[in-house]
Amino acid sequence: MKMEDMPLSGPDNTKLEALVHDIYSELVEDACLGLCFEVHRAVKQGYFFLDETDQESMKEFEIVDQPGVDIFGQVYNQWKNKECECPNCKRLIAASRFAPHLEKCLGMGRNSSRIANRRLASNNNMSKSESDQEDNDDLNDNDWSYGAEKKAKKRKSDKVFLHFKQLSFIHLSLQIFLFIHFSCGENVDH
Amino acid sequence: MTPFLDVFCTQTDRHNVFYPLLRQIMNKDSQMRAAINQKLIEMGERERLKELLRAKLVECGWRDQLKAHCKDVIREKGLEHVTVEDLVTEVTPKGRALVPDSVKKELLQRIRAFLAQHATL
Repeated sequence: MKMEDMPLSGPDNTKLEALVHDIYSELVEDACLGLCFEVHRAVKQGYFFLDETDQESMKEFEIVDQPGVDIFGQVYNQWKNKECECPNCKRLIAASRFAPHLEKCLGMGRNSSRIANRRLASNNNMSKSESDQEDNDDLNDNDWSYGAEKKAKKRKSDKVFLHFKQLSFIHLSLQIFLFIHFSCGENVDH
Repeated sequence: MTPFLDVFCTQTDRHNVFYPLLRQIMNKDSQMRAAINQKLIEMGERERLKELLRAKLVECGWRDQLKAHCKDVIREKGLEHVTVEDLVTEVTPKGRALVPDSVKKELLQRIRAFLAQHATL
């Protein structure tokens, strides 16, 4: 036997030998635990007994290798030449151009100058603009939406003005009441 | 409290006699162990040993054997109710026993070689 195969001898070396065995035990336990965790996860995720599937099911899910078809056996370019009807403008658009067309048509995509479209729409309908987060961002970004900003501001000041009017009415009537109360009180004999 | 500590029943006994004694006995030993473990990790040797062990265990069929044993345990406990603790208590002792002697010898040899190089006494 080679020198390094023999366990170390001597009093200090028995401790070392014990340490060697302890380190080895730790490593083996790590390996066992690793396997336990792997198996447990496989059990809980449901793929542990997958290797015991019957032949029939295995045949059903075999990889397909035919031209014009993907590995699942589905045809993958059958919608290339179809046309779809746009729900907004009722035109027939090619499938690959459908998404960009919808962006422009509905005024909702990234590059569709939606603020212009919104203003046109709101001027046509004479309705209040919605206070969307998106809208506010747009308004803040552009100079030529000054008109819309002014409108929003004016409405806000209108509200404030109204409350002020109510307050001043209350204040005035209170003053009158107090004036009458104290002036009448002076004339009364106790 | 452990029954051992009842021998040193008073608080002062424990702090003046027992704990310092224990500390002295444990000190040199545990210091050396801690130092060696640290060196094992720092020099990447522990990781290398782990990988070596894993590779050898897969090669010799230990992993498949133990996996088959796991299947039995799972069928016994029921697929829905098996817990990590169940697996660990059933599998670890068997795993330890099933390691082939050649793998065990090789690993012990490598650890001894590392200690011979890096252990300071």
